[in-house]
Amino acid sequence: MSAVALAPPARRRRRLPAPLRRLKPWVGLVLLLALTVAFLLPILWMTTTSFQAGEKMFQLTTDWIPSVWHPENYPNALGRAPFPTFFFNSTVVSVIVMVGNVVFCTLAGYGLAKFRFPGDRWVLLAILCTLMLPLEVTLVPTFLVVYQFGWLNSYQGIAGPLIIEAFGIFLMRQSILSIPSDYIEAARIDGAGELRILWKIIVPQCRPALAVLAVFAFRDSWDQFLWPLTVVSVNEYRTFPLGLVAFGEDYGTPPTEQMSIAVLATIPVFLLFAVLQRWVNRGFGLSGLK
Amino acid sequence: MVSKTNSTAGAGPSRRDVIRGLGAAGLGAATFGVAPRTWAQARAPVNLSFWTFENPQQRPWLHKRIRLFMEQNPAVKVDFQFFPFGDLGKKLSVGFATGTAPDGFVSQDWFMPTWLAKDLLAPLDVQRLGYSSVQSFSDDFTQAFVAGATKDGKVYGYPLWFYGFANYINTNQFKEVGLDPDKDSPKTWAELGEVAKRLTVKSGERFTRQGFKFAMHAAQWTMIQFNPILIQHGAKWFDDAGKCTINSEAGVKAMTVRASIARTYGAEDPADSIATAPLPQMDWLRERASMFFCHPIPPAAIASQNQKMLTEGYYRPVQYPGVEPGKGFSTTYGFNLVVNARAPKEKQEVLHDLYKFMMSDLADCWKDTAPFTLARKSGWVDSPEVRQFPHVDEIIKAKDQGVYLPRTVVYNELADAVHRGVQRIMLNRADIKATLDEIAAEVDRATEASKRG
Amino acid sequence: MTDSVGDGGLAARGYSRPAGRPFWRLHFQRRITLWGIAFVAPALLFFAVFKFGPMIWAIELSFTSYDMVSAPTFVGLENYRKLAGDPVFLASLTNTLVYIAGSTVLITVVSLGLAMAINSQVPGARYCMMAMFLTNLMPIIAVCLVWRFLLHPFGLITQLLAPFGVDRVDWLTDSRTAMPAIIAVTTWRFAPYFMVVFLAGLLAIPRDYYEAAEIDGATARHRFVHVTLPLLMPTIFFVVVISALLSARIFLMPYIMTGGGPGNATRVLSMLIYETGFSYLKMGEAAAISVVLFAIMLVFTMGQMRLFMRGERVHG
Repeated sequence: MSAVALAPPARRRRRLPAPLRRLKPWVGLVLLLALTVAFLLPILWMTTTSFQAGEKMFQLTTDWIPSVWHPENYPNALGRAPFPTFFFNSTVVSVIVMVGNVVFCTLAGYGLAKFRFPGDRWVLLAILCTLMLPLEVTLVPTFLVVYQFGWLNSYQGIAGPLIIEAFGIFLMRQSILSIPSDYIEAARIDGAGELRILWKIIVPQCRPALAVLAVFAFRDSWDQFLWPLTVVSVNEYRTFPLGLVAFGEDYGTPPTEQMSIAVLATIPVFLLFAVLQRWVNRGFGLSGLK
Repeated sequence: MVSKTNSTAGAGPSRRDVIRGLGAAGLGAATFGVAPRTWAQARAPVNLSFWTFENPQQRPWLHKRIRLFMEQNPAVKVDFQFFPFGDLGKKLSVGFATGTAPDGFVSQDWFMPTWLAKDLLAPLDVQRLGYSSVQSFSDDFTQAFVAGATKDGKVYGYPLWFYGFANYINTNQFKEVGLDPDKDSPKTWAELGEVAKRLTVKSGERFTRQGFKFAMHAAQWTMIQFNPILIQHGAKWFDDAGKCTINSEAGVKAMTVRASIARTYGAEDPADSIATAPLPQMDWLRERASMFFCHPIPPAAIASQNQKMLTEGYYRPVQYPGVEPGKGFSTTYGFNLVVNARAPKEKQEVLHDLYKFMMSDLADCWKDTAPFTLARKSGWVDSPEVRQFPHVDEIIKAKDQGVYLPRTVVYNELADAVHRGVQRIMLNRADIKATLDEIAAEVDRATEASKRG
Repeated sequence: MTDSVGDGGLAARGYSRPAGRPFWRLHFQRRITLWGIAFVAPALLFFAVFKFGPMIWAIELSFTSYDMVSAPTFVGLENYRKLAGDPVFLASLTNTLVYIAGSTVLITVVSLGLAMAINSQVPGARYCMMAMFLTNLMPIIAVCLVWRFLLHPFGLITQLLAPFGVDRVDWLTDSRTAMPAIIAVTTWRFAPYFMVVFLAGLLAIPRDYYEAAEIDGATARHRFVHVTLPLLMPTIFFVVVISALLSARIFLMPYIMTGGGPGNATRVLSMLIYETGFSYLKMGEAAAISVVLFAIMLVFTMGQMRLFMRGERVHG
């Protein structure tokens, strides 16, 4: 960089005439918008299809605005199977998992970020190793473990293995690392208890990370299919993805109604994201974005 | 007090019931129709679990009978659970493994070998079910139905529904292309191809209407549909040594026939379930396919998709095609009521009473679940509702003439291997002989593995 | 790395260190250490029960034949030997590796491209980013069902190709296009998330570097190759490893969209594990397949670990 001043004048690049140059950002915007719409096409399709008559699906043409709206698809779909129960179950499980992750990942993240104890490097390594032990790999023995606990067909059984995820721990650890330790030490000198420090000092400072963790923990639990499929065999505890697949395939449920359920399923996650939007943006380090 | 006469074979049980019932009435207790007074009245409460598969007609009927039984026997509580048709077997396997299997359940008959091989079912006390002996029990069913549920002279399943596949045709569409649904309905495979070709309507490359359609969405359907074709051509699933022989010359011929509707006659588009419908008969119900092999289709199912077809009645089941005219037959498969061997004695006894009660009014079963035919010979075939049901003779004929799915402990592996092979053949135009060789090899490997235990 | 215990700032306040450790200070340090262990303990206990325990059990099981009804019988390496000669397993293994490779590359490239597009100072880019991010939040079951319809031979995607004279594409029923189709859907689903990750990385690059390069006469491409990429390396590495780990686990997409077909064209290891274990009740064999999947993930996690350790040293 120091050589800049002594460098020969840079070769003049061909530049666009002034008026076109002003247009450039707008052209860019149009292109970007096109890209965004292209990405969102499936979501739009899903929503618009959910209001179409069952027949429409068979023609395979897409009317982006339905000529006739069929909002009755929604109550019809909900009535075909105990979907309200399924959604309730999914909500309960996802809230448990979200809260569990937020609490325990913060605790562990804090412990790993700001404390030194014998074997702490090994603990970090061990937690890292759990990244290669997802449920898909440990399905059979985890099922047997949960069965031993008597947790088949229960909320504990579905939520249990999901309560703490390594990603969450790393996320919180990363976030807490950036909190200056002086605050903590000063508080200790002042006689504050460890839990008090955690609650009053650490937590407020890592709200963005907590928001990101909450959204993704909820979303991942909301998405779960293979694990509930393995662990649940009764309707009372089925989560909505199981219901959507099992009863969607059932005798004559029109695909349009499947789309209705899909739309309903998408709303809670979007809502949660909208509510925590502000912090999530910061949590991703995007506050610098225009 | 009216006692419903049990129309089961033989007057024995019903008369005894009536006498017992009157006697009980005399004591001031209520008579409970067909079921004998169970001990459940006087004893401690019993909680049972019972599983079955989902079907919009069959499942509610089972539930209804169970609820009635519970009303009459307040000490008994049944936890009733149901699963998608393709999942029930797997859920049961896992249940057995973890000790959470239900006390009683409906077993798909192709799983009987698996349960029996591992001693998971309790032998049935036929007397408790109302039969005097195993022989009289067997006589009440077509031999083959019971054969699948019998081992070492003991009976392990109470056959409930058994039915065959039929070829459902759309008579309007036949007439439309100048065919007579009575005379021209296909009796041989070649005829099926020809007729299907005439019924096909295309716009350019795309099928607006497929003349005929094989369901290809699930291994179970693939097996049921291909099984009779294989056997008709003289091939066998396994030879006496247990080796898979689907790739014999006859097997290749059979598979060629299976593929011919699409490949030779151009009457079917395996990749395009025009409706993108997971439900196989949807295309036929929506009149996008003229012919379709299917289990008996209840009127309610037709009404839900195509009320017009039901009201005007322009459809009918005909027999599966054969290698020669008049020699057609399909697969007959069914469902048995069974008892978990690990259930406590008390629960097993209550289950016997429950099953007896459920099977005591088959006319009621027909009312709710027609035209799913029942396995028992007696007690329903002659009732007026049955007689009046449209095309019931064809349906019963299909049941009586059909052949059975292969009885093997590696049924799941076999079904999956065949299903995938058919996919490769139909969707990727794979070579038939080579694919059948692969299927046979896969099945042999599975058989080996299961022998090792 | 800030020393989190140290002397508690006492020296700074003028306290001198008495000769020999006073009792109360030892106690203080030990108390803090114990708290650290206490904070981490629940997670460790949890992982012992739900991750490490089961994995060890899986390895044990892989040497047995176990149908869940009777007790496991030891069979040594038989399961592995059988897998090595089983075309279905080999196909699943290949599919999984192809899928991981394809998805990872495509996700990385696409998300980087998207991030650069958002970062291009275009007004309203922020909202476009949030909109695209929504695809990452959509429940995956909904994603699978919607795309299964869109990828119908005559569905929306084919219709979009109509101007190019394409009449029909058997996306999900032709073994040549089935896997690429699923890889494309995976990319659609995950790229927005990594776009955000890349965006954060891009925003962290100081403007000065670009300005200096521009003054030096670097073209946009030069700037990208010589400034952006090198500084983005850690992020790229992170994205590659994480998307590889996510791809290795994939189950629902092939399960719903193709059922593993046609034939075995899209059968992946996780599906095979579920089928072998819960359809055929061959728990020992399923465990052996799990071990193979574990090995694949181990490779990628080692990569992640290396990145981590390096990151540790850089960030202190």
